[in-house]
Amino acid sequence: MPQTETYILNMGPQHPSTHGVLRVNLELDGEKILRATPMMGYLHRGIEKLLESRTYIQGVPYTDRLDYVSSMNNNFGYCRAVEELAGIEVPARAEYIRVIMAELNRIASHQVFIGSLANDLGASTGMLYTFRDREEILDLFDLVCGARMTFHYIRVGGVARNLPPEFAEKCRKFLDRVPEFTEEYANLLMGNEIFQRRLKGVSRLTPEQALAHNMTGPNIRATGIPFDLRKVDGYSVYPQFAFEVPVGENGDNWDRFRVRFREITESARIVRQALEGLPEGPVMAKFPKMLKPPKGEVFSRTEGTRGELGFYIVSDGTAKPYRVHIRRPSFINMQALDDMCRGYLIGDSVVAFSAIDPLMGEVDC
Amino acid sequence: MFGKGLITGMGITIRHFFGKKATFCYPEEKLTMTEHFRGGHLTIDYKKCIACQLCAIQCPNQAIKLKVVTDANRKRHLESYVHSMGRCLYCDLCIEGCAPHALSWDKDYEISTWHKEDLVHQVMTDEDRSYLAEVMTQAAANPTPPPVPKAAPKPAAAAPPAAKPADTEVKPRE
Amino acid sequence: MNAMLENGIVVTVAGVLREYLMLLFGNQFLTDLIMKFIGLGALIGVILTAAIVFTYAERKVCALIQVRLGPNRVGGRFGLLQPFADMLKLMSKEDIIPAGCDRVVWALSPMLLFVPSALAYAFFPFDKGAVFADVNVGIFLLIAISSQAVLPFLMGGYASNSKYAMIGGMRTVAQMLSYEAPMVFSLLGIVMLTGSLKMSDIVAVQADNVWFVLLQPVAFVIFVITATAETNRTPFDLVEGESEIVAGAFSEYSGMRWALFFLAEYANLLAVSILTTTFFLGGWSGPVLPGVVWFGLKAVFMVFVFMWLRWTFPRTRIDQMLSLSWKVLLPLALVNVMCTGIGIYIYRLL
Repeated sequence: MPQTETYILNMGPQHPSTHGVLRVNLELDGEKILRATPMMGYLHRGIEKLLESRTYIQGVPYTDRLDYVSSMNNNFGYCRAVEELAGIEVPARAEYIRVIMAELNRIASHQVFIGSLANDLGASTGMLYTFRDREEILDLFDLVCGARMTFHYIRVGGVARNLPPEFAEKCRKFLDRVPEFTEEYANLLMGNEIFQRRLKGVSRLTPEQALAHNMTGPNIRATGIPFDLRKVDGYSVYPQFAFEVPVGENGDNWDRFRVRFREITESARIVRQALEGLPEGPVMAKFPKMLKPPKGEVFSRTEGTRGELGFYIVSDGTAKPYRVHIRRPSFINMQALDDMCRGYLIGDSVVAFSAIDPLMGEVDC
Repeated sequence: MFGKGLITGMGITIRHFFGKKATFCYPEEKLTMTEHFRGGHLTIDYKKCIACQLCAIQCPNQAIKLKVVTDANRKRHLESYVHSMGRCLYCDLCIEGCAPHALSWDKDYEISTWHKEDLVHQVMTDEDRSYLAEVMTQAAANPTPPPVPKAAPKPAAAAPPAAKPADTEVKPRE
Repeated sequence: MNAMLENGIVVTVAGVLREYLMLLFGNQFLTDLIMKFIGLGALIGVILTAAIVFTYAERKVCALIQVRLGPNRVGGRFGLLQPFADMLKLMSKEDIIPAGCDRVVWALSPMLLFVPSALAYAFFPFDKGAVFADVNVGIFLLIAISSQAVLPFLMGGYASNSKYAMIGGMRTVAQMLSYEAPMVFSLLGIVMLTGSLKMSDIVAVQADNVWFVLLQPVAFVIFVITATAETNRTPFDLVEGESEIVAGAFSEYSGMRWALFFLAEYANLLAVSILTTTFFLGGWSGPVLPGVVWFGLKAVFMVFVFMWLRWTFPRTRIDQMLSLSWKVLLPLALVNVMCTGIGIYIYRLL
């Protein structure tokens, strides 16, 4: 009887498909994965502490750097938390603009997801196509706030500046193109049999498992639980828009992909409605420049692109927060990696990782 | 039928093979930056500046270091103004906080350097310095404090002075 | 001129050259020897040119498919000198020898890999009569030689002292061995149709009758799939598996050693394109243009097809790939052989 041994493969921190600097400790039996342990902290920048040593308003640009693919959503989450803490009433126009930006950013983020998933599957062409279309969203953001990556557009009390006059038209033009490029992704990737075979039935999670891991966002929706804070909490002006929450059935990678894919269309729907109903008025609330929220604490959550993005802020009445904790969806979703990899092959580990769609900037924070 | 998706995929790629390309040759062709583009060197319209130091206070990362002198008329002037680009978050808080609209970006995005030290940018030009010397001597010569306030905040008049004239001509993409 | 049309350009040129050499040396043996060396030089020239041209072509095709511009700096607007720049870069790179590797095996691997891919060129009929070694068991030898490429990969993977490389090496063995079988069986139909293992005969039959791609479409598809697997290109690039096992067997190689792997890859790519051309697309046969031009055009077209496949498809997984080979392609190839046999039998009855 030949004796066999398992061995440990260190995937990362320098590896083409770890989306940054993650290290995954894989215990392997041949190609089969027995255990996958994500090891993180290679991109830790201490953003929570940075936020604690800045004033509330100065902290906003740091939230850009959390999940740098969907900065608008992070800005949104942090600003909502501070506003709740300080009791600032945000003008209606600003809320609409925020929703437009957050949803556009959600589209962009899901495009990055599709692209990087395709790239991890070896189809780098798919990645280039999604990034090409993402540029159009970045152009829109550039027009609005002057940056393409770290936007710092949504501010405490509103948004940085009003929309430029040509924005609405350009945004509509982009929305008209959404069906065109989603069809292209569908034809190039979704219809592809190899692509389907790589994803269907792989890394399955039951709804119970996903709940036990406290997964949120598209990852839990893929298991069939329609948990979307935009519907559940109905924060900001989301209750005014008609949109659906796509859910999956099996909780496999294919459903994770499909849920995000359909969310692109739904987000586009929201943006279109928000553009239609955009009220006039100021875009910034009136509040003292040196913001000193009353003593107290707040936990405010929004639906980030990767799940429930929560900001827990404790105020001691001074200009700087006493404590900031960020509930980063990527970090918490990462827990499921072990369950998603166990029993599958090396090639699947990369896909499972990609399907969770974590961003190392957010995981390590 | 198995293989249909493969064929459609191949159809898409071959269409793009002959189709229009999304990229262009960068240093020859350049994009024009948008109106609010945040990037490049910080420039200051020295004559507008009231040396209130708000920009440095607003900065989340202490990227702006400035020194202020007071002349014989007890009026404040900038003596030096250093922008550490390596620390800068390009968050725009300094520019938004500038009441007289003296600060602006020069939108020259080609700011990469070989050394960290080169990232420290002296915002004040020689012209500004000679202007400062002139003002200082003038104030010392006639120390009667004029009661008129200096530059009143002029909205939307942040003309970017050519602190570092870009030697490459920015050609818009057609 | 008539002789040229009848014999093909390559043979005519070779004939003229031989006459001159005979005049020069007056010795039959010496002339033959020199002619062999000239042929050898031409073959190596073809391989090296192919590697240079295809590195450029791959980058350009990839870029154009991915809506990019591709190389456009070195050598004019189209970046025609890019491969030379790449070569310079590779040559000037540091030759890193990983710690704890098996030095001899490690160093031998890239060189050995080049041998089977270069050797295969000896059997290709580039033009009518222009075969370096027209042996009567051509296909048999060719397959025997090309399957030797497994060993260098395994050597490289084993000797690198890296787990990624080891996985890559093991994958190579599994992949290449399992794809050899359907490949051979897909060619069996052609051998049955021509009744010969000789490469030149296969082309000659196609030139006289019809291209085998029309008679053996199933075999053609199987051959293209297996050829992609044999050359380790997407969707079967599990050996490299850039996003999984980094670069597989050659993740520890750098500089010129890595370039040798690259060279072998492109030599293989051209080789399978030539094989497809020879077996299914009628080799050098074609109207008006000289045979060697037709041959070149078809081969380049096949190379493009392989590149096109590579930049369109995602990668399969190892178990899916193996089951595709053993459960789908092999039975299909066997059925194809059977159908061909029945077809030939019925044809003879008529």
